[in-house]
Amino acid sequence: MEDKLRAYMDHLFRDVKPTRKTVELKEEILQNLVDKYHDLLKEGKTEEAAYNIAVATIGDMDELLAGLQNENTDMQPVYDEKMDKWRRKSALRISVAVALYIMCLLPPILMSGSAYEDSIAPALMFSMIGVATAILIYNNLTKPYYHRADDSIVDEFREWQQQTDSARRAFRAISSALWALIVVIYILISFWTMAWHITWVIFLIGVAVEGILKAVFELKR
Amino acid sequence: MSIASDLIRGHTDTIILAHLTREDSYGYKINKDIQVKTNNNYELKEATLYTAFRRLEGAGYICSYWGNENTGARRRYYTITPEGRQAYDQMKKEWDEAKELIDILIKSGEERQDGR
Repeated sequence: MEDKLRAYMDHLFRDVKPTRKTVELKEEILQNLVDKYHDLLKEGKTEEAAYNIAVATIGDMDELLAGLQNENTDMQPVYDEKMDKWRRKSALRISVAVALYIMCLLPPILMSGSAYEDSIAPALMFSMIGVATAILIYNNLTKPYYHRADDSIVDEFREWQQQTDSARRAFRAISSALWALIVVIYILISFWTMAWHITWVIFLIGVAVEGILKAVFELKR
Repeated sequence: MSIASDLIRGHTDTIILAHLTREDSYGYKINKDIQVKTNNNYELKEATLYTAFRRLEGAGYICSYWGNENTGARRRYYTITPEGRQAYDQMKKEWDEAKELIDILIKSGEERQDGR
């Protein structure tokens, strides 16, 4: 019969988000019902009658449940705001990085034929690539954690999951930047040397580098 | 439960605070005490009781903590705060005043009838 009381409470709370607060409240009321149920049995009521009386005396829970739900929705915007901010900044950072990748070809083109062709031009180009890559990595690493908007158990789990994932996130960030870099290097070297028949090896090297990075991250954990 | 319960419901907060001025207690025990004291004539609905707990806790009149029973039943105990005691005194005073006024108003009607 106690299971039946629990099932009844679960049914009452079916639409309420399972935050720590609401789960505790449910347990509290359930304990109350169980106490009442046992007292009724002691008074000589049958199990069926005791259950029915206990359930009948709960009353109208609508107000209580509505109060719980309002509390939950009130706390939601905090998280969204932070995420929105990051998204806006992130869009700007990615745009700048892509622009740098494209414009890094300008120094070699503009300086071709001049005295700087073999010194300053490549230096500038690689610095621009470096800065763009750094921006991408920074952008991925500063992505806000899932901050708990309320006491929800689901949210706590998600937070825990994301925090243990931080190493993996760092790896993903570096890996995505790595592949952008590899493509740029491939194209540049190919145009430079015109040795298209062999430059594809760069991609194999890229895979190897990524594998090594992954191994390093796994070992660290 | 009689029609009087509607009248009493407006004073749920006062009743709960009054119980907590004596000792810390949990939901079912408070309700049980109410039943015993009123000779089974009055009993709070769980919904009413726990709505009141949340309201009082929100107002800072009561605090709660989980008791550590050995029986396996996990109970949340409520305790009254100094602000709660003040609020209780105020509510009690208001009720006493209201009771006096209502008594006068109702009685005077009866007396007038009796006098005729």
